[in-house]
Amino acid sequence: MAPLRPVLLAALGLLAVVLSAADQGADADRPPVPIDQGLAARGKPLYERFCISCHGPQGDGHGYAAQWLDPMPRDFTSGIFKCRSTPSGTLPTDDDLMRTLRVGVYHTYMPPWAVLGDWDLRALAEYIKTFSPKWKEEAPGQPIAIPPPPPDDEASRKRGAVVWTNNQCAKCHGNKGKGDGLSVPTLMDDWGHHIAPFDFTSSDARKCGNTDTDLYRTFMTGVNGTPMPSFADSLKPQEAWDLVHFLHTLRQPD
Amino acid sequence: MKVRVLVVAAAALAVLLPGPAQAIPAFARKYNVACSTCHEAWPKLNDFGQLFRDNGYRMNRGKDNPTEQPGAYWPIAMRTTVGYQYAEQEGVPVDQPPGTTTTKNGTFGFAGLDILTAGALGEQFSWLVVYTPGLGSAGFGTGPSDGDLESAFVGYHRIFGTPFLNVRVGKHAPDLPVDEHRILTLTQGYNVYHFHPQGSAATFEPGSNQAGVEIYGHSELDALRYSVSVMTENDAIFSKNWVSSPVVWGRLSGKVLLNNGILPEVKGGVFGSAGWHPVQALTQTDPATGEPVPVSGAAYSNQPYQKYGADLHLLFFSNVNPLDITGVIMFGNEDQALITDGVRSAQWIGGFVEINWVPTFNWAIIGRWERIRTTQAGSDTLPQNEGDLTALTLGVRYTVEFSNRMAATVLLEGSQVTTTVSGTKPKGSTVLAGIDFAF
Repeated sequence: MAPLRPVLLAALGLLAVVLSAADQGADADRPPVPIDQGLAARGKPLYERFCISCHGPQGDGHGYAAQWLDPMPRDFTSGIFKCRSTPSGTLPTDDDLMRTLRVGVYHTYMPPWAVLGDWDLRALAEYIKTFSPKWKEEAPGQPIAIPPPPPDDEASRKRGAVVWTNNQCAKCHGNKGKGDGLSVPTLMDDWGHHIAPFDFTSSDARKCGNTDTDLYRTFMTGVNGTPMPSFADSLKPQEAWDLVHFLHTLRQPD
Repeated sequence: MKVRVLVVAAAALAVLLPGPAQAIPAFARKYNVACSTCHEAWPKLNDFGQLFRDNGYRMNRGKDNPTEQPGAYWPIAMRTTVGYQYAEQEGVPVDQPPGTTTTKNGTFGFAGLDILTAGALGEQFSWLVVYTPGLGSAGFGTGPSDGDLESAFVGYHRIFGTPFLNVRVGKHAPDLPVDEHRILTLTQGYNVYHFHPQGSAATFEPGSNQAGVEIYGHSELDALRYSVSVMTENDAIFSKNWVSSPVVWGRLSGKVLLNNGILPEVKGGVFGSAGWHPVQALTQTDPATGEPVPVSGAAYSNQPYQKYGADLHLLFFSNVNPLDITGVIMFGNEDQALITDGVRSAQWIGGFVEINWVPTFNWAIIGRWERIRTTQAGSDTLPQNEGDLTALTLGVRYTVEFSNRMAATVLLEGSQVTTTVSGTKPKGSTVLAGIDFAF
C-alpha cells in the first residue's frame, strides 16, 4: 500500500485546492469566456458616445472629465469591478455589468443608462471587457447564493445593530452611518485616491443597487477596488440580512 | 397688395431669422458628461437627454441638488452662431421704380445670443430661463431686435411619487413632434408650426413658447409620454375669460426598442390643439393717434381654431448614431369668423419629412422637405393657394469640440422656400456657413 500514499496525498491535495477554489468562487478550473467580438464592435460607438469622457479612450479611467470627478471613474484595464454578485477578487458576470449599467452607481457621476435598452447595454458591457486582459485569462466568478430574507422586524434590526458593532462598521461609516467614521482620512482606493464611505442616512438608494438584496450582495462580495471588504467569511446569511435591516434605521428624514 | 407685402415680409423673415435653439452645457459641466450624452447631434436630444429633461433635469443618482455641486458651479450657459450668410429673396416689392426685385444679402454676423440658466432644486423642483438679449444689429443683417424671455418656467416633478404626474408653470414649449428649439438647421424652422391660413386673425403658433401650465407624465424609461398644456395665445388681445385667449395643446407619444441592427427603435405620437381667439374688443382711443386701441381683458366673441396631426420616427441601424427618418403631418382648421372677409372655415394640411444621419457623434447630415397647402380658403378674395409653401433644407454639421465644458460645431447649410403670392411663386434662398458655439 505504501506506493499509493503519494498518489492519495496528491489527490487529497488536489481535492483541497478544488474545494478551496470552489468555496471562494474562484474559477481557475473553468476556461475564460471568449469575448464576443461582434457584440463588442457594436458596443464601441456606444462607449465612445457615452463613456469615453470619464473612462477614457483606453478604458483606464482617465477621460478628460476624470479630473473633476470624485470618486474617480473606474479603470477597466484592471479588471476590478465594484458591483458584483461574484466573490471578492473575481470578475463580474454579464448580469452584474448590465445591472451597473442600468442603474448607475449611486452618489457618483455614473448615471443610470437603462433608457438605452438591454440590447445596447449588453453590447456596451462586452466592449468594456476588451480593455482588460483579465477577461482572457479568467472566467467570471460564480454568483453567490442569496437566501430569502427573514422578516424585517424589530428583533432582526436589533441583531443587525450588534453585527454593525462587532464588525466595526462605524470605523468607516460613522456611529450614525453618515460616512464620517474615524478612519475616513486614511481610506484610499486601489489606485491611491481618497475615497469616502457611503452615507446611509441621506437616501434609501445604495451604491450597487437600491434593493435590500443588492445591499446583502454588497456585504457578501465587497466593493472591489475600495476598502469595503467582503464579509462572506465572517457573516452568516442571517447576520447579513439582520445588518441590511439595521441599516434601514439609520435613514434620516429629508 | 398689402397682403402680398406681408406675405413676402413674413417669408423673408422666416428665411433670415435663424431658428431659436437650445442646448445647455451647464448640465454637462454639472454632471461632467460630454454633450453627446444627451444630444444625438447637438442640440437635438437623444433618449437619454429626453428622459433627463422629463425627470426635471435629474439623473436621480444623488448628485442633482445644487448642494452636491462645488460652490464655484453656476448653472448658466450661452449659445450663439457666428458666420456668413447669403440670402436671396425674389418678389420683394419696391416703388422706385414700381415693381418687385430680388434682394441679395451677403452678411457676416451672428444669430442672436441665448443666455440660459436651468437646473434642479430640492427633490422635486426644476427651472429653466432662456433670455435672448436685444441686438442693435449684426444678426445677419436683420437689424435691431428686442430682448425676450424665450422660456421661463418652474417645474414640479414626480407628484405623488409617480413620473406620470409633473407640472411646469410659466413660458414653455408645447410638446412638439420635433422640438423646434433643438432643431439642427438654423436657416429654416418648421414652417408647419407657424403657419396661418390667409387672412387669419389667430396668432397661436405651437413652435413658439407660450405662457401657461403644462401637465405631463412619462413611464420610468419614457416608453410612454403625455403632455397637456393650457396656455394663453401669444400676441393675442386678452379676452374676458378665466384663461384669456385660451389654447389647449396635447400630445401622446411612445417608443419601442426593437433590438435589432436594422430598425432598432420606432417612435410615434399624435397631437392636437384647440384654441379660441377673440375677434371683438372694447376699445379706448389713443390720445396721440386718435385710433381706437383694444383694451386688454375686454376682448370677446372667441372663435375656435384647431390644429392636429401625427408623427412617426424611424431610427435605422442604431438608436445612438442613427439614420433617423421623421415624418410629421398636421391639419389646421379655423372658423370663418377668424378670417378676413371669411365666408367659410379655412383648412390646410402640412407636414415635413426629415432625415438626420448621425454616423458618429461628430457628424450630422440633415435633409428636410416641407410642404403646406390650403385645402379650403376661408375667403373668396384671394386664390385658394395663397400662402402655400414648399421648403427644402440641406445641411451638414461637424462638431469639433464636444466636451463636458463646451460644444463647437462647424456647419454648412442651405435652404429654399417657395411661397405662393398672388399667383406667383417667389423663392427665398439662404446659405449659411458658420460655427455654432455653446459653453
